[in-house]
Amino acid sequence: MSLTDLMSMAKPNLESREKILVKLIGKELLNCFQCIKCTSGCTALKLLELKPHEIVKLVSLGFVDELASSDIIWTCVTCLKCLQRCPRKASPYHVIIALRNLAVEREAKVPEGYLKAVSQIIETGLAESVQKVVTKKMETFDREGLKLPRITLPKESFQATFMKVMEER
Amino acid sequence: MKVAVFWGCRILTSQYAYEMSIRQAFPRLDVELVDLPEFHCCGDPVKSMNDVAANYLATRVLALASTTGLDNLLVPCNRCHFVASESKYFMEKNGKISQKITSLLKEEGLEYNPSIKVWHTIDFLHNLVGLDDIKKAVRKPLLGLKLATHVGCQIIRYSDLGRVDDAENPRKLDELVGALGAETVDYAEKLDCCGANLMYSHTDTALSLAGTKMKALQNLMVDGLVVSCPDCGLMFDFKQKDAEATVGAKLDLPVLYYTQLLGWSLDIEQKQLGLHLNQSPVEKLLARVSI
Ligand code: SF4
Ligand code: SF4
Repeated sequence: MSLTDLMSMAKPNLESREKILVKLIGKELLNCFQCIKCTSGCTALKLLELKPHEIVKLVSLGFVDELASSDIIWTCVTCLKCLQRCPRKASPYHVIIALRNLAVEREAKVPEGYLKAVSQIIETGLAESVQKVVTKKMETFDREGLKLPRITLPKESFQATFMKVMEER
Repeated sequence: MKVAVFWGCRILTSQYAYEMSIRQAFPRLDVELVDLPEFHCCGDPVKSMNDVAANYLATRVLALASTTGLDNLLVPCNRCHFVASESKYFMEKNGKISQKITSLLKEEGLEYNPSIKVWHTIDFLHNLVGLDDIKKAVRKPLLGLKLATHVGCQIIRYSDLGRVDDAENPRKLDELVGALGAETVDYAEKLDCCGANLMYSHTDTALSLAGTKMKALQNLMVDGLVVSCPDCGLMFDFKQKDAEATVGAKLDLPVLYYTQLLGWSLDIEQKQLGLHLNQSPVEKLLARVSI
């Protein structure tokens, strides 16, 4: 559902709002004075219509449930421009990350790519699988063929600890 | 000088040219690289899922680096560099996170050591090796080349963490290219993001961001684009042909890693720098130097 659809039936929820504020540790988000500096330089504004100042405002008003189940929070490119340029240290970037974390806790729809990365990490330690590359002359190379050293995977305790933290929240 | 290296996933699993060129060029500048005893994800994709788990991964990298006994850690990937720097910041500034992670690491017999310093390829070469030493080592100056640089996002923001270069006017990569004898241009789109992070969720938009930037660069008639992050390398070099369709223009822009360019001017053989792995037409650029 788009943000507009969700907002048409929105109700503020102060408990959920508190969840985000706790994740953010500081409460700088509440200092936002809607100057729109963040949105004016946002990488995802033009193509995906992400408006970080709106996200910050909606969270401070308590419309967290709507945001956590929306697709819009997954459009951020994590370029960090909003956070760098915000005169009030409100950091829309961190607000968006906190909303994504909440969406994961609530088992809302999370883009496939992220789920895949996590299961890869559990399996091998790396978020991506090792690829063979094909050159423009159609020759295929792997690490060995390029005389690159073998990858040493993490020891077993890593997997267990990582899974434990992932589940804890 | 000895330095520990954390490569991150993208370099180790596909952006081999970046790894090869660092492994080849750094020893020529008297830098000895020491790989960490284990390789794993820095935590970047996990940040969106569970920030604590991401910080555990990143701090574990820093703890592994401490086991080498070295104080300097080279992190050539922008994303990994950001995640590692932010974890370091939290470990030092945030008691709650730091306590939690310290105890997790302890269970594995690891310990975070605050004296570890995190470097990226750019500031390592610029600040520690130095432009003068690079200039002295150059055997084939890249005279006559006009290049554009793309530093990416996450090594220059956000300033509270202490970043590699200025957030709005980064110059170090340009100066490093200048040290090899080539000229760099300033351009309006310089700080535009490559889009790589959207490959997880919005592939077409990601490609369109990369394509739009390359299209603008082609209009500037530069000889090529210099990058220093495996995500940017992936988007501008590996995915250049895929990006063509999203911007409706033919893209034919040589894109290479700074360390490939560096290695080339240090007279290291092309194949050892992975120059045969680039998908973009780097031979066009190399031919201009050889003359
Ligand atoms: S988050 Fe910061 S930059 Fe964005 S509108 Fe609020 S105060 Fe301005
Ligand atoms: S970090 Fe996300 S919200 Fe902030 S400017 Fe970049 S794309 Fe926009």
